[in-house]
Amino acid sequence: MIRLDNVTKIYKGETRAVDGVSLNIQKGEFVFLVGESGSGKSTMLRLLTAEELATTGQVHVAGKDLSRISSGRVPYLRRNIGSVFQDFKLLPQKTVYENVAFALQVIGRPKNIVTTQVPAILDLVGLSHKQKSFPDELSGGEQQRVSIARAFVNRPLILLADEPTGNLDPNTAQEIMRLLDRINGTGTTVVMATHDQTIVDQMRRRVVALHAGQVVRDEQHGVYE
Amino acid sequence: MAGFLGRTGYFVHETWINIRRNLTLTVAAILTVAVGVMLVGLGLMARSASTNALGRWQGGVQFEIFLEPNIAGGQIDALGQELRNHPDIERIQYITKDQAFELLEEMLVDEPELLAEVSIESLPSSYRIVPRFAEGELIESLAAQFRQRPGVYSVETGRQQVDAIREWFNSFRWIVLLMSIVLAAASTLLIFNMIRVAMFARRREIEVMKLVGATNSFIRLPFILEGMLHGLAGGIVGAVAAGVLRNHVEELFGRSEILAFFRSFTVTSSQFNTAILATVIMGVVVGALGSAFAAGRFLDV
Repeated sequence: MIRLDNVTKIYKGETRAVDGVSLNIQKGEFVFLVGESGSGKSTMLRLLTAEELATTGQVHVAGKDLSRISSGRVPYLRRNIGSVFQDFKLLPQKTVYENVAFALQVIGRPKNIVTTQVPAILDLVGLSHKQKSFPDELSGGEQQRVSIARAFVNRPLILLADEPTGNLDPNTAQEIMRLLDRINGTGTTVVMATHDQTIVDQMRRRVVALHAGQVVRDEQHGVYE
Repeated sequence: MAGFLGRTGYFVHETWINIRRNLTLTVAAILTVAVGVMLVGLGLMARSASTNALGRWQGGVQFEIFLEPNIAGGQIDALGQELRNHPDIERIQYITKDQAFELLEEMLVDEPELLAEVSIESLPSSYRIVPRFAEGELIESLAAQFRQRPGVYSVETGRQQVDAIREWFNSFRWIVLLMSIVLAAASTLLIFNMIRVAMFARRREIEVMKLVGATNSFIRLPFILEGMLHGLAGGIVGAVAAGVLRNHVEELFGRSEILAFFRSFTVTSSQFNTAILATVIMGVVVGALGSAFAAGRFLDV
């Protein structure tokens, strides 16, 4: 599903954010990317959505070689990838329902798909009763669930999460992890960059540790350290 | 089909939101477009009007032989006789010094000081001549025949006036064209800037749209539509203004004796419609250019 071959990303000719990384992630895997700030986790995720292009090496996502993909095809690649962020990136002037529906509308999905898919996904994340609320009326955990609903409503093959529990208290973080685990259970590949030791240790999933842009550890049922 | 309608609804909605958000900039852009395209419209109409008028005078319907102020009465009569018997001349009219003064009085009705400087005696009497055929060549040859006669001060043919007017209109056209270009450029830049502001105001939405895989054209379209709508609105305002001005000016030409000369400067309704249509289209083009340029520049993947 995701394959990196000796990938290096150099910013402005000097900073090596990612340095010679090779990595293979199978369909349906759940992978934690761990490492301190600046170790290259976010850059790795941005390489997977083609927001950044590798300086050298090859990135394959969902069967596409991203070094060769035309900019016109990038949006279609992204329809196969859901993204979740620490700061949620919800639109404040839209309701919960509209925020999720927006993701389908802007890729031209017909209305009947929107009206059936959005309630279904809101039910999955347990927010059916809040669909008319605005983001600032929700708790952090609820906002993150909306953002996961938005990322997953188009049933992507891959879900990328960049510190999704970074702004949440431990109990809420647990809820979010249960949700991501359920999504992974549907066969979606999940890649999550995190600092959260408790969560990584508890889940016992594959752990890829980065340091200074290099993979220093890759364990199938790993812990944070 | 349902999907298409849903999308159209989306574009209309988004465009409307953008316009509401930047009302002052919107008004400024629309007015600039309006003034710019109004000039284009007026320029086009002036072009048609002058072509029409010049076509009508091309031959110069009449010409005028001015006589020396101190010419003897017998000489005047002899010349009149010869003109009346000339095979190429339809009819003539003798304008006495008194009549010439009256005409001048009319022309200088607002400038009595200037008129006070003129004495009736110093004015030339003249013959106004209507040739049998309104052909430029014929008139020029007639004028040449009489220019050297004793007692003739000068011969004024329509052609000289027509040439002067043509020249004047040509420079007028160039000025209008230049002003239109400057204003069109200003309008394009204003719309460019407005769309940039609109995109900045909606950068979070644009970020999310890119994130979930909206195509660039889908993201750009509402902005380009917005620019075109501004252009259209400006075009319509400009066209209406040009139409109103045209009526006003034609009425003015019709009413005033001084401007009677301009009465033949009229446009036909089809020329008017073409000019108005061109005005509106120009507005839309300016809007589309400015917004497409902005959307292309600020929306890279």
